[in-house]
Amino acid sequence: MAITINDHQWLILKTLIKAQEFLTQDQLISRNHLDNAIVSATFLYGQEKGWLEIREIAREELILTETAASQIAKGFPERQVLSYLVAQKKVPIKEFVTYLKDKDLQLNDIIKWGTLRNWITKDKGEIIITTAGKNAVDQEADDEKALKVAIPEGSIFLDELDKSINLENVKNLLKNRNSVVKIKARTLRLAKITSKGLKELQEDKIKIVQEKNILTSEDLLSGNWQNIKLRHYDVKLEAEKVYPVKINLMQKIIQQTRNAFLEMGFEEIVSSQVESSFWDFDALFQPQDHPARDMQDTFYLENPAKAKLPSKDIINKVKATHENGGDTGSTGWGYKWNEEKAKEMILRTHTTAASIREIAKNPNPPRKVFCVGKVFRNEAISYKHLPEFFQIDGIVIDKNASLATLLGTIKEFYRKMGFEKIKFKPSFFPYTEPSVEIFVYMESKQKWIELGGAGVFRPEVTRPFGCNVPVLAWGFGLERLAMLRYGLKDIRELYWSDFDKIKEVALCQ
Amino acid sequence: MPVVAISVKHLNKLIGQDHPQEKLVQALEQLGCDVEDTVNLFLYKCPACGAPNDKLETEEGTKRCEFCGHEDGTIFEKFASDKVIRIDLLADRPDLFNVGGLARSLRGYLDIETGLPQFALSKGELEVNVDPAILKIRPYIVCAEAEVPALDHNSLREIMKLQENLHWGIGRDRKLSSIGVYNLDTIKGPITYTGVKPDSMKFYPLGYPDTQMTPAQILEKHPKGVGYAQLLQGKELYPILKDNQGMVLSMPPIINSEETRCQIGTTKLFIDVTGISEAAVVDSLNILTTGLIELGAKIKTVKVNYPDKSIVTPDLKSQKIEVGLQNAKDWIGVDFTKPEFEKSLRKMCLGVQLKKDGIYEVQYPAYRSDIRHEVDIFEDLAIGYGFDKIEPRLVPTMTVGSERAEEKISNIVRDIMLGLGYTEIMSLNLNSIENHITKINLPQDNNYVVVGNPKTINQKVVRKHLMSGILETLEKNKKKVVPQAIFELANVVCLNPEMETGTNEYRHVGFAVIGPDAGYAEVRAVLDSILRELGLTGQYVAATHPAFIEGRYAEVSNENGFLARVGELHPKVITNFNLAYPIAYCELRLIKVI
Repeated sequence: MAITINDHQWLILKTLIKAQEFLTQDQLISRNHLDNAIVSATFLYGQEKGWLEIREIAREELILTETAASQIAKGFPERQVLSYLVAQKKVPIKEFVTYLKDKDLQLNDIIKWGTLRNWITKDKGEIIITTAGKNAVDQEADDEKALKVAIPEGSIFLDELDKSINLENVKNLLKNRNSVVKIKARTLRLAKITSKGLKELQEDKIKIVQEKNILTSEDLLSGNWQNIKLRHYDVKLEAEKVYPVKINLMQKIIQQTRNAFLEMGFEEIVSSQVESSFWDFDALFQPQDHPARDMQDTFYLENPAKAKLPSKDIINKVKATHENGGDTGSTGWGYKWNEEKAKEMILRTHTTAASIREIAKNPNPPRKVFCVGKVFRNEAISYKHLPEFFQIDGIVIDKNASLATLLGTIKEFYRKMGFEKIKFKPSFFPYTEPSVEIFVYMESKQKWIELGGAGVFRPEVTRPFGCNVPVLAWGFGLERLAMLRYGLKDIRELYWSDFDKIKEVALCQ
Repeated sequence: MPVVAISVKHLNKLIGQDHPQEKLVQALEQLGCDVEDTVNLFLYKCPACGAPNDKLETEEGTKRCEFCGHEDGTIFEKFASDKVIRIDLLADRPDLFNVGGLARSLRGYLDIETGLPQFALSKGELEVNVDPAILKIRPYIVCAEAEVPALDHNSLREIMKLQENLHWGIGRDRKLSSIGVYNLDTIKGPITYTGVKPDSMKFYPLGYPDTQMTPAQILEKHPKGVGYAQLLQGKELYPILKDNQGMVLSMPPIINSEETRCQIGTTKLFIDVTGISEAAVVDSLNILTTGLIELGAKIKTVKVNYPDKSIVTPDLKSQKIEVGLQNAKDWIGVDFTKPEFEKSLRKMCLGVQLKKDGIYEVQYPAYRSDIRHEVDIFEDLAIGYGFDKIEPRLVPTMTVGSERAEEKISNIVRDIMLGLGYTEIMSLNLNSIENHITKINLPQDNNYVVVGNPKTINQKVVRKHLMSGILETLEKNKKKVVPQAIFELANVVCLNPEMETGTNEYRHVGFAVIGPDAGYAEVRAVLDSILRELGLTGQYVAATHPAFIEGRYAEVSNENGFLARVGELHPKVITNFNLAYPIAYCELRLIKVI
């Protein structure tokens, strides 16, 4: 069976068969006019097949900086002052500095490099020339010799230097001279044909195909693609990092939440962020002196300051319910309800305002609606609190609605959000009876996390709007869910939009 | 929300059984309490009076005695610790504000003592006469006498804390009702509840045994007076309680007198609750006295003589409400048997009697101020039965889901923007006038929604455009590689006096490119592509806008009016946000939401 080898590799292998001795990568490159990548790939392939024996030799290369040539031509600072120092024998530092100023040289450089070369010493404020220094005047140092050789190519391997040059000396003198040169460790690779290679690689047994790096349109149209072999890549090499642009993290939670309720047959509703106290509080049977309506917690508006109230009929029913229960079967709160207070404009404190508006609009069962929107609490921004956050609010108006179906609906929602374990605890909210708090089990944290409140609307809430079946209601904050999902400790991070962070957080969490 | 710390030892003592802390916590949670945590309370002995002051183990030890006020700059000596369960107070259930009320509920819930609790009252001699002059100022007063085991530091503090919590929970910070507790031995009846002119008399307010003050001076100088002065603001007369010797008991709702203060060893208490809400004063007294009974007190009634009637308080008789069994089954969604129904309610300290077929009479104790409808009983029923026993299920009714138009269109636009390589950001709706108006070069014309009482200036205005949020985001990311391309989809709020809420809301998309080559052509191309994909056409008109460079700004509209603004931002706006590259910006109105 013929061995298939591409044309470039065959050139290299043929050279090695002919030479029957170790050749370096560079030798193969120059003899065959090929590039480094092809030679490397052939070495790897040949070694794998047992055709080539590869030897690696550690080498060090001097690589000159861009300004190295001019520095070397001028002479290093310590050399420039050598004859002056020989003439002076010793010179007080003060005087020396003046001399250096004229020549635009730095004292520190002279001392650093001069002492490293053992050309000068410093004693009692004087610079003294040494014997080695005197001798150096008309004798090039090893490093200077090496650098001169390297200038034409800009680099040289230490092992290519003349044998008379002491390599240790060169390395010692140049290792910290970064403005001139860098010493880089390299590996020299050599290859030699093996006996197995000689046996298997006989011209008549080889099928040579043309190898290319790029598949061109011409190759495809002309049919030449059948004659070419495409070069193999090292598919294990790490690739450059690229990131897709992404939907915002918080937005993702919002969309996931919306989809969960849409899938469960809920109709999406909306209400204004800017709301009247009537719809945010009074319609939900919150007494006008309730602490939740306090200036402390609620943003009251200066402009617009007053809302228009709904029809007189609705106002009278809500007023009666607050004062004495009206015809809801309740005793009410027993205080005088104030219409002006209900007109006060606020930023909605919960999306439940949207739910109760929807009940007023159409109280007839069966209905399932939800609303996602910003709600506001008068708090300063901190790592724990934001004055505004997203809430999902939902209601079910149904003759079969009950506490049991409330728990079932919420359980199904959180299951869709990825929480299989859920538990309920009784709670107290002013407008629901019974009221529950919801806890989900976070597998990653191994603990129960409180995620929201729910309940069955009190008849005092629903009956003034003509709704006579139980109404299930819930309101969940979404930021907390997002923080848990993305492992954030600081709620502000959700709105910082740090571009690097957005890039790095994976879409599937 | 205030937090109350309940001693596990004390709670067990009042329950009459020894329960491990975890079991108590679990039972309290199943009753609906919000258990914050369980911690150790350290007790520190005051070197002056010997009173035990407590601090949580997480807090620094105490340096000031809460009983005698002693303070010498050093931390008192710690002498004991006590395990406590910390509970958030629930505004709806003030009867659970203290250890006595919690112990009573737990006795029921844990099946130790179920059904309606009975509270014995004996008739007292003391009378309180109400002066007609006070009826316009603070018209309601109810009172009680209590014989208690000699007060020690713990019981004294217990009573003070319950009083404080009831001021919060029922009294709306003393506005609706406020409580006074006195050493009855210092008082000679009958007592008069009257009103005095602010400067007409003097007494020793609590904490000032050597300084007499007039009511007006108290409002100016005494810390409590300063704190609650607004409750009496503009009143002609200030409320005063005094005994038949003319000694002042208190000036409700501000401060008691020094002479009548309760002390260690006091065994007889006089209690008054005054207020402007009859329900609040009655509820406060009922909860305080039934709480004291749990702590071993005997309560005597007091006769209160109003100008037109006399009443005897407290009235701790139970109340009743009719409850339909079928209604309860429907509301909770559980097909309760009669014994299940009855047992569950009795566990919640309620009395249950079948009245006629399917109709029960449920009696509830006088401290249950939260019950105003049969659904309140349904909740107790569910709690008594156990939430964990209720099988969650879905409503069987079929409904069709549907999404809002602005969300549909936003999802399309989001896909377009992401597809064009723009990163989605979200910024906040509330902003400062400086960032939202001034830095954008917009006029301060009050043509925006203004918040009246924000905690910081950063929440002064509700956004009417998305530009400031996008620029703030670019500013936060200014050290990152440019070009950057971002967008935001959100609602903005614009004033419209015609609307019920005085505003309209619109869904906008705003997008920006920052970088050395950012320019009009790039964002214009994106805007065109959005319009094309949405099937819209717009007329571009060269216009001027203070945020944009003149000659590089266009407004886009169609037959329905304004659609978009697009252009290159003015260098002043760019530098106002500390940015250093050209920015091309576009904001498109997608749809009217409200």
